[in-house]
Amino acid sequence: MMDWAYLFEISLTGIASGGLYALAALAFVMVYKATRVVNIAIGEMLMAGGYLFFTFAAMWALPLWLAIPAAVLACGLLGAVIERTMIRPLLGEPPISVFMVTVGLSSVLIGLVEMVWTADQRRLPEFMPSDPIMVGDAFLAPKVFWGAVVAAVFIAAVLLVFRYWRGGVALRATASDQAAAYSVGINVPRVFSLAWVASAMLAAVSGIIVGSIGGISSSMGVFGLSVLVVVIVGGLDSVLGALVGGILIGLVEALAGAYLGGEYKLLATFVVLVVILMARPYGLFGTHEIERL
Amino acid sequence: MQRISQKRRRLMLGAAATAALAHPLSVLAQGAEEIVIGGSIPMTGVFAFAGVGINAGIQDYVKIVNDAGGIKGRKVKYVPEDTGYKVDVSVAAFKKITSQNKVNLYYGDSTGFSKTINPELERNGNILMAGASFASELNDPKKYPNQFLVGPDYTEMFGILLKHIAKEKPGAKVAFVYSDSEFGRDPIEKSEAEAKKLGLSVPIKIMTPAGSVDVSTEVIKLRRAAPDYTIFHGYILAPIPEFITQGKQQGMKSKWMGTFWTMDSSTVMKMGEAGEGFMGVMPYRYYYDTEKAPMLEKIRAMRPEYQSTAYMQGFLAAMLFLESAKRCLDAGKPLTGANLKAALNSIKDFDTGGLIGVPLTITGNSIPVGRVYKADMKAQKMVAASDWIKL
Amino acid sequence: MRIGTLKESYVADAALFDSRTQHAWLAIAAALLLLFPFMASDYWLYMACLVAINVASATGLNILTGYTGLVSLGQAAFMGLGAYTVAILQTRYGTPFLLNLLAGGVVAMLGGIVVGIPSLRVKGLYLAIATIAASFIAHFLFANFQITGGTAGLSLPPARLLGMDLDTSFRLYWLIVPVTVLMLLGAANLFRTRIGRAFIAIRDRDISAEVLGIPLLRYKLLSFGLSSFYAGIAGGLWAYFFRVVTPESFPLSMSIFFLAAIIVGGMGSILGGILGAVFMTMVPELLKLIVDLLSGGAGLAVFLSPVRLVVFGALIIGFLVFEPLGLAEIWRRVRRFFHLWPFRN
Repeated sequence: MMDWAYLFEISLTGIASGGLYALAALAFVMVYKATRVVNIAIGEMLMAGGYLFFTFAAMWALPLWLAIPAAVLACGLLGAVIERTMIRPLLGEPPISVFMVTVGLSSVLIGLVEMVWTADQRRLPEFMPSDPIMVGDAFLAPKVFWGAVVAAVFIAAVLLVFRYWRGGVALRATASDQAAAYSVGINVPRVFSLAWVASAMLAAVSGIIVGSIGGISSSMGVFGLSVLVVVIVGGLDSVLGALVGGILIGLVEALAGAYLGGEYKLLATFVVLVVILMARPYGLFGTHEIERL
Repeated sequence: MQRISQKRRRLMLGAAATAALAHPLSVLAQGAEEIVIGGSIPMTGVFAFAGVGINAGIQDYVKIVNDAGGIKGRKVKYVPEDTGYKVDVSVAAFKKITSQNKVNLYYGDSTGFSKTINPELERNGNILMAGASFASELNDPKKYPNQFLVGPDYTEMFGILLKHIAKEKPGAKVAFVYSDSEFGRDPIEKSEAEAKKLGLSVPIKIMTPAGSVDVSTEVIKLRRAAPDYTIFHGYILAPIPEFITQGKQQGMKSKWMGTFWTMDSSTVMKMGEAGEGFMGVMPYRYYYDTEKAPMLEKIRAMRPEYQSTAYMQGFLAAMLFLESAKRCLDAGKPLTGANLKAALNSIKDFDTGGLIGVPLTITGNSIPVGRVYKADMKAQKMVAASDWIKL
Repeated sequence: MRIGTLKESYVADAALFDSRTQHAWLAIAAALLLLFPFMASDYWLYMACLVAINVASATGLNILTGYTGLVSLGQAAFMGLGAYTVAILQTRYGTPFLLNLLAGGVVAMLGGIVVGIPSLRVKGLYLAIATIAASFIAHFLFANFQITGGTAGLSLPPARLLGMDLDTSFRLYWLIVPVTVLMLLGAANLFRTRIGRAFIAIRDRDISAEVLGIPLLRYKLLSFGLSSFYAGIAGGLWAYFFRVVTPESFPLSMSIFFLAAIIVGGMGSILGGILGAVFMTMVPELLKLIVDLLSGGAGLAVFLSPVRLVVFGALIIGFLVFEPLGLAEIWRRVRRFFHLWPFRN
């Protein structure tokens, strides 16, 4: 006999935690959409955002309404610096080179965090409402719920921005054809910077939420691997894909963890990845890349 | 013209190569008749908080002994190397230290290192080793004759907790929550059997993947099992506070417990509200314990700020090391691995000066003694919740 | 710029080492390798063995990524396959170590071929991510089965040669280094043959290669297979060297290490693989030395591990930004300089 209440409860939690994945995936997609760069350091940028928030909120004891924007902006600045120093010089190089640069970047970020804040695990100050959310008899952890809400808000905002704001349209234009974007008068280098800054800021928000749930540590970046799976499933350059992929992966993980056991969570995720790679390599919503000779 | 250059080039390089090889690559840098404690210490990396404490603990005890004139006139030298908690770096450090010094005693930083270096220890034959690991596998005098644990192994830690639970609430339901790593899985099977022997039941065992952020699904599973006690193992801090917070929100009535590496005072205090009443097993006294303990007072005099339980561990390791050396030399025996181990095993009713609350006896590879402590968030301290339990 | 290299036969033309200078250098290198173990301390012997194992594995990865252009982040997983095979055979059946090494290589090769199957449908970065997935699946297999000892892993007795246990770094040197040298020669020779040229063609433009008549899937699988064969043997040597194999021994970061090694060394050249592996293995030790000298105690040592991470990342970024062809290119520049010396440019 199926325990439907259990299934419902697990699925609810899975979908909500999928929202967390979706937010981080959004940061990733932002960069890929504009610059075609696979940023595997997304987990570490998330970590940087979490630690910056920790510095502002806990170490310098700034009030929340100051600490959160400060952390987000600081992370945005980090994104701009990264883009200028490491990504811009590699324009035109094969994508694997830029990918490896982001691998190096993740190492550098982890090292810097360990140098400044040590490798100890820390907790972030509590700031989210802590009343449990009940859907009927099913219980949903408040942090996860509010995290998912924030994610949904940002995704909706980004979708609107891409559709209606000039900057968003410029981003899409640069993504589809750089040369044409130049000729229409779009400042392509500025668009690149903008994409990285926006991505870093989104990563910071994601990092703050993820950090407030599980604490921050210098090994937080492994979250990035699950995010990678999400964007592959959803499509590397699709914002909607980030949302759908995130929810799907969150659900898969929750179900695997509940019915099979904790050790199967990651395995299930990667099996889904392999299946998608074989069946629909460009993800559920990604644009099909046509290879030209 | 080119031919001469080639020949000259070859000669130059040949000379350089010979010069390089002739330089002695190993230097014996040690005073005569010193007792050397080598250490692969994780002073950086994920275990750094422990490594720094362990290093300080060993250093301090060595200083105390040297200030008192050494062991039978011999001075003690401590040679540490940082390993970042990586096994291959650890092994390299061991090789480096043993090639540059005549090492008698060695402190290892991890279970992996202890297992890897064991055949080397046996071949070397002159070293007694202890370390930061409390792995049950190492608690086997036949397989690991030159090593010992500075406290109870993880299975024994569970045993102490289970004994305490059985006394407090016979027939209770105890859930195990552990991490998917060798560290986490170590004591689970044997402890489940031990629980059954004590008349307790284990309604659920939950394993969390390493590095998992969101544990909501696991909390739901835990809630459904409705345990009276939940023991966490294989973690330092995360995800315990999240488990407790969500569990309490869902109305769970379980009491929460942990094992050694979670139980440092500063770690538990980081749990905030969720840590109120958090219990766990600790084989040593805490830095601020006010019960009569002459050694603790010495430590407090040497180090006015709080020292972690890792410091206590290092300090005690050095104490046991040098006690074994002393007994060996007292008996007129040379300092070999076998003799040092025999000396260690001759330790009976040994007074650690209060670091451990009861006199020690080490018959095998571990010290199966511990006490249950409880967190008092208001006082920001860990207070004793039981007597010293011996297994 | 070499003058006076007249060849009179096809065999001479296709030879790997064709000038007297090269022969002389090889002789010196061989002599150094032979004399080294008698002069070095245990620590340096240990480092030498580790470097040799890394060179072997990096060369394998170079075949796949440097020469065939298929980016792989699964090299550590294949090493794990080889290591576990060797460990299981040695502990359960006590078979001779050469046989175990070969078996390890074969098992890893099969694993590589399986992972390579998606390589026709999936290209570039997607393939890299698929290899990451393979890495995790391998880790899961290692950690959750009885035969591999679960999370505790396996410990194995030393290899035996003619009744002697190979349990010191000195003795293991004589096993590891010759095997590595053989593998290097094999790889160098590979790129003189048709197969090697096919790999290079696939890297440059695989659709064009197919138009030229190179069966893509077969050659891509061959590349995967060969590179994981190398990884398997390196893993087997690793097993005999450390004598303990656990699921944590071959993490994703090790795969990243090897990829970094061939990037820093220079992708697509055997020398690059060697230089990269040597450099990346010795840099942490060099760092430790520098930190020791600078701090003279445990003062700065607290920063050693994070500094190591930062330096690792900075090296990758630095080489990619400033010298994408790696150390091998720097070496070639130095050599060119000496070839023309004392004539400047």
